[in-house]
Amino acid sequence: MSMYYKDADDLYKIYGYFLDRVLRDDKIGLKMSKAGIIIKFMYTDPDAEITIDLKNPPAKPGYYGTFYLGPCDLKEDVWSKQPADHSHRFWHGLENPIAGITKGIIKQGGKVTAMLKLLPVIKPAFQLFPVALKEMGLDNLIVTKK
Amino acid sequence: MKGNTGRVADINLTTGIVKTLELPEEIYRRFIGGSGLAAKVFWDRADFAAEALSPAALLILMNGPLTGIKLSGASRMNATARSPLTGGIAESSCGGFFPPMLRLAGYDGLVISGRAENPSYLLIDEGRVTIKDAGGLWGKGILACTADLQKTYGKKSTSLVIGPAGENLIPFACILNESHHAFGRCGMGAVMGSKNLKALVVTSSTGDLSVANPERIKTLIKELTPRIKDYLISQVLHDFGTSGNLEGHMYEGDVPVRNWTSNFDEEMAGALTGSTLSEKYLVKTATCAYCAVACKRVVKIDEGPFAIEEGPGPEYETVAAFGSLQGTSDLAAVCKAGRVCNDLGLDTISAGATIAWAMEAYEKGHLTDDATDGIPLTWGDMDTVVNRILPMIASRSGKLGTLLSMGSAAAARIVGSHSLDYTAQSKGLEAPMHDPRGGHGHAVAYAVSPRGACHVQSAMHFMETGACNYPEIGFEFDLEALTHEKKAETMVLAAAIGSIENSACLCQFADRSLTLPEIVELINAAAGYGYDVATMMEAGLRVFHLKRCINYRFGFVADDDDLTPRMKEPARDGDTAGIEIRFDEMKNRFYELMGFDPVKGIAFRKKLESLNLTEEADRIWSRTL
Repeated sequence: MSMYYKDADDLYKIYGYFLDRVLRDDKIGLKMSKAGIIIKFMYTDPDAEITIDLKNPPAKPGYYGTFYLGPCDLKEDVWSKQPADHSHRFWHGLENPIAGITKGIIKQGGKVTAMLKLLPVIKPAFQLFPVALKEMGLDNLIVTKK
Repeated sequence: MKGNTGRVADINLTTGIVKTLELPEEIYRRFIGGSGLAAKVFWDRADFAAEALSPAALLILMNGPLTGIKLSGASRMNATARSPLTGGIAESSCGGFFPPMLRLAGYDGLVISGRAENPSYLLIDEGRVTIKDAGGLWGKGILACTADLQKTYGKKSTSLVIGPAGENLIPFACILNESHHAFGRCGMGAVMGSKNLKALVVTSSTGDLSVANPERIKTLIKELTPRIKDYLISQVLHDFGTSGNLEGHMYEGDVPVRNWTSNFDEEMAGALTGSTLSEKYLVKTATCAYCAVACKRVVKIDEGPFAIEEGPGPEYETVAAFGSLQGTSDLAAVCKAGRVCNDLGLDTISAGATIAWAMEAYEKGHLTDDATDGIPLTWGDMDTVVNRILPMIASRSGKLGTLLSMGSAAAARIVGSHSLDYTAQSKGLEAPMHDPRGGHGHAVAYAVSPRGACHVQSAMHFMETGACNYPEIGFEFDLEALTHEKKAETMVLAAAIGSIENSACLCQFADRSLTLPEIVELINAAAGYGYDVATMMEAGLRVFHLKRCINYRFGFVADDDDLTPRMKEPARDGDTAGIEIRFDEMKNRFYELMGFDPVKGIAFRKKLESLNLTEEADRIWSRTL
C-alpha cells in the first residue's frame, strides 16, 4: 500500500505537474534534452507508467522534451521499474539510485549508461519536487530527512 | 594442491640462484592468496632492517586462488614490498595477462631478492626461471621495451616492464604489463629498478589449471558471467571506462580540483568524463584476460599539441590527477600525460598529485623560481607538465625534477612553510582521486589503510556509494555519504572484504556484483579451502591485521593513521561545502571495534591470537622482533 499515492491517477497528477516544470526549466530541461533518449519509468504500487521523450522535437513550444502519462507507443531506449514510493523519495534526493539498483529495488534495462548520465543533470530537480508538492497543496506528501 | 600450484619461485638476483618454495596448503587457507599470502611470505622472510631499495629487500608477486579460472575480473595479481615512497608496506594490484600466464607456467608467485650485477630480466618459460641480460633494454621507455620483448618472445608472451623512472629509483615508479595494466602505487618500479631488473617475461606455457571442482567452476562461471556483464557498473565501465561516472562523482564532491582546493567544477565534469573520452578519442576498448567487461580504453589523438598514436588511454585516476587536479579541462592533454607517464613508468596518481601540490606551493610563493629552475608553475599549463616536468621527474633532473621526484610529502618537508598541510596523502602515499569530503568513509579508509591513502585496500568506496550490499554480514543499510555515522562499523567489514578481494585477486570493479556466498563458492570450487562466509571474513581480517603488524615493525604507529589538514578541512564549494568531517570519532571507534592499541595502532595480543596470528602476536608483543 503506497504511503504517498492513492492510485495511478493521483501519481499522474503529481508527476504531470512536476515534469511540466522540469521540462520547461531552462537549466534542467536544457541539459536533460542533450541526453537524446526516450525513458520509460514503470511504477508499482500503484502501477503506472510515464515516458519522457528527450529524443524527438518537443511537442509543445517552450519545453525541452515531452512526457506522456500512462502507456504510450513510443519505443523507449531505456526503462526503469521501481515502487512508486521509492521514486517519490528519490525525487526528494533521499534515495541513492546506485544502492536501489544494487538491492534490486530498481530494475533497469536498455541504455542504462545513458540514464546514469542524467543523474547529475536532474539533481537540481530534487529541490523542485517538494516545491511542486507545496504548490499543489500537498505539503503532507513532502518527505523530510529522518 | 588444487587451484593454487603451491609453488613460488625464489629468485636471488645477487647469486643468480633460483629455487622453488613449496608453501603448505594451510598457509594458503589462512591467508587466501594474492595480497594476503604475499604479506605472510613477506612477514616470514623479509629483513625488516633493510631499506626499500637495498639488495636485501624483497619484491613479491603473488597470484590468488582464482587467477586464470576464466572468470571476468579474476586475472589480477598482487605485488608486495617495502615502499620506497612511504617506508611501510607497499602493495599494488595489477590485471592484464601476466597473472594467468604465470599460473600456467606453474607458479603462484615470485619472491625476488638481491641485486643483479648488470641490467637483467627474468624469463619464465614452462616452469623454468632464467636470468637474462637486459643491457639492450635498459634506458628504454616501457612502450619500446614491451614491444622489443614481444618481438623476441612472440605475441603470446607477456611482460612486466619498468621505465626510466624505475631505473632511476623514483619512489613512485610503477611496473606495467602490456604498457597498459599497472602495478601503479607505492613505487614497485623503483624496487624492481633497485634490483637491476628491467622486466619479467612469461612465455606461453602448456601448463593446465587444476581446480578442486572443475564442474562447479564451469557452472559458476556460466551463471555469473551474464550477471557481471549486465551489472550497471560493468555497463558504465564498458561504455565509458573507469572515468565513466566522473561527471556524477563531481556533483557528489568526490573529484578533487586544483590540488584539493575545490571539489566542484561543472565545466571539468563534462569535459573530462568518460563519455566525452569515448566520443572524442576512443578507438576501441581493451581488456584484461578473460574479462567480459572490457573497461580499458584505447585512444588516439590525431592533431594538436597533445597528439598521440593509437594506444592505451587513461583510467579515471589519471583523468582526475592530470585533469581536474591540475586545473584543466583539456582531455587531450590528460591522455598525453597518461601516455608519457606510462612510457616513463610513473604512477599517475603520485605524479599528478605531486605536481598539483607544487602548483599551489608556487602560487603561494612557497616554491620560488629558483627552486623550479625558472619554470613557472601555473594551473592548467599542461604543456609544461607533459613536456617538461614529467621527464624531469623521471630523470630526477634539475632542482624541480629532483624535488618533485621525492613525492609530495617528502618535497613538502623540504620546502617547509606549512606546505605539508596542503599535500593530500596519508603515510606518504598520495591520495587517490576520491575526495573524503564527498564521502566521509573515505577519510577513515585512507587513514587506516596499511599502504597509505587508498580506496581499494578496503571496500569502503563501494559500500559508501551503495554499489554493494552484504546482508549475510549485516551490511544492508544505506550509508549517508556526508556523515560519520556507521562509517567505523562499515570500515571493519570493508577492511575484511577489501582484503578478501585483493587476496583472491578479484577485480573490485568487474566483480562488484558478486555476493559473499558466491565468492566463497568460487574459492572453494577452485582451491577447496572449505570456507563459509564467516571463515572467509575472518581470513580477510587476518590479512588486514597482518599488514598492520608489518607496518608496526617498520615503525608506523597510531599517529600515522591520519590525513593532512587539507583533506580534513570542510569543502569550499559544491554541495558538500562547509560540512565537517568527524575524523577522530570515526578513527577512534574503528580502533575500538578492531581491538587496536590506541598508541601502537595494532591489535592487542589476544585479538591477534583469536585470528590465528599467534606467532605474529608473539613477535610483536614479546618484543622479539
